[in-house]
Amino acid sequence: MPAKKPAKRVAAKKTVKKPVKKVTVKKTVKKPVRKTGRRGPRSAAQRVTGLLVMLPWIMQRKRVKISTMAKQFNLSEAELIEDLLMASVCGVPPYTPDALIDVFMDNGMVVAEVPLLFSRPLKLSTAELFAISVMAQTALQLPGANKKGPLSTALTKIAPLMPTGAETIKVELPRAKFVKELREAVATGERCDIEYFSPASQKRSKRIITARKVFEDAGRWYVAADDHQSGEDRIFRIDRIEQIKPVGIFDQLNDQDDQDQQWFSEQMSQVTLRVEPSARWIVESYPYISRVNKRIKNIDVVDITMSITSQHWLGRLLLRAGGGVKVLKPAEYQSLGKKAARTVLDRYNKSGATS
Amino acid sequence: MKITQAERMLNLLALLVDRNRPLTLRQVRQELGKQYPNSDEAARAAFERDKAALREMGIPIETKTLGGDSAGEVTYWVNRSNYELSDLKLSDDERIALQLAVATVRLGAQHGEEALWKLGGEKVLRPTAVSVNIGFVDQNMSAITDAVMQRRTLNFDYKGEKRQVDPYGMLSRSGFWYLIGFDHLRKDQRVFRVDRIEGKVSAGQIRAFKTPVGFDVAASVPTEKQMMAAGDGEVTTATVLVDASLVAGVRDEFGDAAIVKERADGSAEFAIPCANMSAFRLWLFAMVESAEVLEPASVRMQVIQWLEQLAGDK
Repeated sequence: MPAKKPAKRVAAKKTVKKPVKKVTVKKTVKKPVRKTGRRGPRSAAQRVTGLLVMLPWIMQRKRVKISTMAKQFNLSEAELIEDLLMASVCGVPPYTPDALIDVFMDNGMVVAEVPLLFSRPLKLSTAELFAISVMAQTALQLPGANKKGPLSTALTKIAPLMPTGAETIKVELPRAKFVKELREAVATGERCDIEYFSPASQKRSKRIITARKVFEDAGRWYVAADDHQSGEDRIFRIDRIEQIKPVGIFDQLNDQDDQDQQWFSEQMSQVTLRVEPSARWIVESYPYISRVNKRIKNIDVVDITMSITSQHWLGRLLLRAGGGVKVLKPAEYQSLGKKAARTVLDRYNKSGATS
Repeated sequence: MKITQAERMLNLLALLVDRNRPLTLRQVRQELGKQYPNSDEAARAAFERDKAALREMGIPIETKTLGGDSAGEVTYWVNRSNYELSDLKLSDDERIALQLAVATVRLGAQHGEEALWKLGGEKVLRPTAVSVNIGFVDQNMSAITDAVMQRRTLNFDYKGEKRQVDPYGMLSRSGFWYLIGFDHLRKDQRVFRVDRIEGKVSAGQIRAFKTPVGFDVAASVPTEKQMMAAGDGEVTTATVLVDASLVAGVRDEFGDAAIVKERADGSAEFAIPCANMSAFRLWLFAMVESAEVLEPASVRMQVIQWLEQLAGDK
């Protein structure tokens, strides 16, 4: 059983809170209060895996705030403390203090100064190697990225760890003008004049925006921005921005974390569509909320409920689907496809008459 | 006093690493004392559970069956160099660059952060100015990436058929992940959309095949432009008038060479492949009334027919 650590080391650390006996540790540890997002108790394997990652990490840093470390590893503080207390009584026989994992908590800090056991990280799994290399490779493609900078040399150092075959995993990013400019505008908070083309209204408009975030999703670039004309937060497709000019006015930077924010969520309304086999690509191309397979008049159809960004978008979708899709709900959208077809037909009729 | 399995696993690993020599289960139990149950049977079962869990974490526990006096007894050990990461000597700048890359690119799994921690880095908690979403949420993604990286043959159901595929590579394009490989059923190279794979994939042994020399992932997945040109229609090109507002986008997609004529109002006529008429229709109608087929008459007529059908005029 662990006794006190050697006097010399204890003296060096003012208030050592290292527990003396395993039993006392267990009794003082409260049931962890779980953060949302994870359910059920963590398995022994999960806890050990976590510790094998955290121990080398903390030994390299020596001292880190408990709150910072819990946030870093997606644990509640109670869970982190529970795991570190457990680690601090583990080691090798005869479990004398100098044979235990040297980690303890002191005054809100996690301290690990003597790397005795588990001081080196585990090898990267193939999933981790895949993730880090694909993420680095993608970031290197971003407009304005330094292709010969530290990210690229880091990739070179990781390369020898990669199994053969990894080089055949590639990410292609869409190209769009102004991504670099908008990215800089986000970083500085500088307002920009933009000229934006809206296909819904078929109009070009001039706006003044403060860009807040530039993002790519499903093959397109967007910028989330404060639109000073409407006074609202808006999302613009970057490939529809035709001109951009910084105006020299700087707004306060927005430091809010948006990790959990759902993109687009506010601007959507829901529709239910019946999709026939000829337009099956719709089911496969767009995210939907729910889906029901049915057999109607000997045809396999799919009823999907999805979110749409605008009526114009839906009209276009119906046009492209060429009769393979029917709007079930809401009723006011049921003639959108017809309307879209008539609008295009008008154009052909007009030009046919004049040419 | 009872000890948790997590604690016992950590102690077992510490012992195997620290002793640096093969130990029998008997020796392990001697060293770890009361951490394993008293009965031989229960102790053996608990030890097997711990060993399996540690291996699952990527810690290779080696074994050897002894001969001679101890015939049949098994020894266990862990070779640190087999599971510890060697020092990559990343500079601070390199580590920060990796951290930013992980913060910027969304993959939908935590593997990037885990890799960072192992490389001595930290996940960035501040929002980044730019982010890229290359969604990685499919249940099969880990198994498929592992198969590509280790050259394992995959088995899965696709469009109602059982496929056996040697996965040569993967491509993320326009919001989808594609798997490219040799399809044993078709005896040819094929492209599969990962999200259309039905059910779970299963993977075979590592290094099961060789990727052909000169294999190019991006070139293996046809673009929209290539799809439109890859049909068997008699007419292969149509002249399409595109309104000024969309000219830039079409030019980006098909190149300057596709421009037939630029008009004074900023609109332009493009020569667009239409050998595959259904792919052509999808492309054309995405522009709704901002584009119009001028020539040839047969294609223009076909487009008008589609529109009339949809508008319910005829």
